[in-house]
Amino acid sequence: MELPEILFNPLVRSVIGLCLMGVVFVGAMAAVWFERKLSADIQQRYGPMRVGPHGLFQLVADAIKLFTKEDIIPKNADRLLFVSAPIVLMGSVFLMLVAIPFGAVIIDGESYPIAATEMDVSVLYIEAMSAISIIGIFMVAYSANNKYSVLGAFRNFARMIGYEVPLGICVVSVAIMAGSLNIVEIAEAQSPLWFIVKQPLGFIVFFIALMADMGRLPFDQNESEEELIAGWMTEYTSMRFGYCFFAEYIHLILGSMILTLLFLGGWNLPAVLTATPILGLILPTAFFLLKVALVILGIIAIRWAVPRFRIDQVVDLSWKRLLPLSLLNLGWVIGLGLLGV
Amino acid sequence: MSEIIDISNIIYSYIPVAIILVVALVMPPMTMFLVKTLSPRSRSAAKYSTYEAGSLPIGDARIQFNVEYYLYAIAFVLFDIEVLFLYPWATIFQGHGITQIATVEMLVFIFVVLFGYVYLLKKEALKWMM
Repeated sequence: MELPEILFNPLVRSVIGLCLMGVVFVGAMAAVWFERKLSADIQQRYGPMRVGPHGLFQLVADAIKLFTKEDIIPKNADRLLFVSAPIVLMGSVFLMLVAIPFGAVIIDGESYPIAATEMDVSVLYIEAMSAISIIGIFMVAYSANNKYSVLGAFRNFARMIGYEVPLGICVVSVAIMAGSLNIVEIAEAQSPLWFIVKQPLGFIVFFIALMADMGRLPFDQNESEEELIAGWMTEYTSMRFGYCFFAEYIHLILGSMILTLLFLGGWNLPAVLTATPILGLILPTAFFLLKVALVILGIIAIRWAVPRFRIDQVVDLSWKRLLPLSLLNLGWVIGLGLLGV
Repeated sequence: MSEIIDISNIIYSYIPVAIILVVALVMPPMTMFLVKTLSPRSRSAAKYSTYEAGSLPIGDARIQFNVEYYLYAIAFVLFDIEVLFLYPWATIFQGHGITQIATVEMLVFIFVVLFGYVYLLKKEALKWMM
């Protein structure tokens, strides 16, 4: 059985991409609910319980609330930057999403990734688009002309540029091992053995750098609500705040997907399991999304178990620990490659 | 069929990128229009002032920032460009005849940049002093 040719048409793929946007929006709402419930469990509270069973529709209620709140642009703010900053943030996460496969269908041993597009350099592209969010966050803070925002944005800048480098070196290590910059080929190169086994050090460095890149606690110095109100988005109200907030959660989901694709084997399963047509359609994607959910669970659990680091500790961690470690991992990968493993 | 419009073509693979970009650009303004129609409006001078823990804002928030940020920025540009040079080499590392020479060249390159890194550390350029 062959896939119909229309599925390779770019316009049809764009429609698939729009559907994936919807999926990731719902996923972000689910992640917010999940985080609130999990944090409540960790702190022996109930969390949201009123709206729907176990507060499942709390986020719908929150969304309605955000839509009916007044949109305030402060007098001292730079209006143009203030209005366009959420667009940059949304553009960053959605352009990341275009190249990320959300799973794959396997038909007759041939796998077709479920993604909006296929690129030869998708890892490089995803990393570039992810880095645009620094500009978005800085625009949010600088336009608002609020001291808390600007403090948060400076911390964000200092942190993000530090973690971009180890992140990039780990991606290069993975690309060397897979022999490709295409995220689909990287996922498929881990068919018998995941890269977390072949380069555990790279996984640890990448995971920490990714957490810092997504601004998850212990690396949320740009937000640190106990000292900076809401950090970089202090002045934002209604859905403008909603977009900044959702961009972070979408980044969390997409980051977990990238981690799963680069180190945790993607959707690869033993060929026996995907031999029958129906299992081949469902199992790889289900397995992939299960792993993504477990990664998100881990990241959220870490948030409620570790206190926030000081900004100088964070910057030192990236430049003085993770950068040498990532280079060490690169050397390890080169060594393995030269030995022909 | 001389020309098939296929996603695997390098130009066509960027069409979804362009379309999603347009959607991402249009979505926030449309939402804000919806918010404007749905939300109540009331005007007062205090509401439009910058939030500063309840007191009147003092001065401007757009201050000159510390010069040490530039050191980090320069170090970042240096290492990020190093990483960019590694990308093309990473794809040809396996299964190509030129691998040995390219790898030796890359190792020399990484070694030179590492020398710069040690120099930065010794000069305490990467020390947080704010």
